[in-house]
Amino acid sequence: MANTFHLEIITPTRVFDEGQVSYLRAPSTNGLFGVLPGHVDAMIALDVGEIKIERSGVVKYMATSGGYAEIKANHVQLLVETAEPAEAIDVQRAQTAYERAKQHLAEKTRELEAEQQDLDAMERALNRMRIAERSKS
Amino acid sequence: MANLKHIRTRIASIKNIQQVTKAMKMVAAAKLRRSQANMEQARPYARRINGVLKNLLPNIDRSLHPLLAIRDFKKTGFVIFTSDKGQCGSFNTNVIKFAEKAIHEVGKENAELICIGKKGRDYFTKRGYDVVESHTEFWNELNFGHAAEFTASITERYLKGEYDQIVVIFNEFKNVASQRLVKLNYLPLVVEEDEEIDTADYLFEPSKEAVVQSLVPRHLTVQMWRFLLESWAANMAAQMTAMDNATTNAGELIGRLELEYNKARQAAITNEILEIVSGAEALMESSK
Repeated sequence: MANTFHLEIITPTRVFDEGQVSYLRAPSTNGLFGVLPGHVDAMIALDVGEIKIERSGVVKYMATSGGYAEIKANHVQLLVETAEPAEAIDVQRAQTAYERAKQHLAEKTRELEAEQQDLDAMERALNRMRIAERSKS
Repeated sequence: MANLKHIRTRIASIKNIQQVTKAMKMVAAAKLRRSQANMEQARPYARRINGVLKNLLPNIDRSLHPLLAIRDFKKTGFVIFTSDKGQCGSFNTNVIKFAEKAIHEVGKENAELICIGKKGRDYFTKRGYDVVESHTEFWNELNFGHAAEFTASITERYLKGEYDQIVVIFNEFKNVASQRLVKLNYLPLVVEEDEEIDTADYLFEPSKEAVVQSLVPRHLTVQMWRFLLESWAANMAAQMTAMDNATTNAGELIGRLELEYNKARQAAITNEILEIVSGAEALMESSK
């Protein structure tokens, strides 16, 4: 008990109850951070990136597109918009999303805001593809 | 007799209708199951985000985020959730009547309407309400993107100062047999005082301000998502009940018509026998 903590990943469409885990690494807006048992209570904003979970020696990766991590009394909740286990990622879909955003960006006459949206979409797609690779190796 | 044929066609047509309502009930039931599952999955996320925000709100300066600022109420934006199609009993009428009452409390001229769903839009435009925005024909493909889209446009209007408060009105899914009408203050954000507030001492990363800044819009989107899911599930439940009633009613009607048909048939046979007998009688009379 002392060397694990409870992890739950909550998305608007699903709840992943990961149970007791020994290590979590998540992407904050300031870069990656790790959580070990006994972490100080915190509220951390998450960015697009990769979640790494270690449970009794087994490592698991997930793709996320941002949200929050709430750490409280050895209980971690990730409130994220999306969370996909590496093996469940639809690479085809990510690829199309990437191409579409790229194509949109090629059209120069667009507003700054729309351009930012495409850049974000591209980032998410790339992130998914990268994490999907993890499940193969 | 012409009446016999008439009754027979009526029975046939009612049987057709009964088949349609039965099918619609089945479709609604399937959709309800799916939307109910969606709703249950969305609840923990909505509740947690809400909880986090409630913990934060008392400790932060309301000027940190424009969506938190409380202004004097002059204009009110009403977001009204209805369905696109009928066949669902009093589902739409109830929301519309309820919304109308709420609008009249602030005065028709102080209210602008954002209608989600065709029924509400049609009703309020026809009656000269100020419908500034409407979203229709999306219910069947409802996804989180819709919630994000609606929230973005509503908060934009709020930030531009078009309204000083935003009220949402929708049917909450209570159980399959009943819906509950809900009127909620969407913006500005308020915390109910009586609720237990757990002011944990958090470490904020990157900063309290940044977390609040991004948490507020997300909270609003999640709320919107919940309203959409609740409303859709409630709609399907109402449709299922309405169609079930219709099927039962059609069954009753068929029963009654069949009785009438049999009576008419009996009467026709009796009549025929009477004619034959009296014809025979007449023949016997004349041959005497």
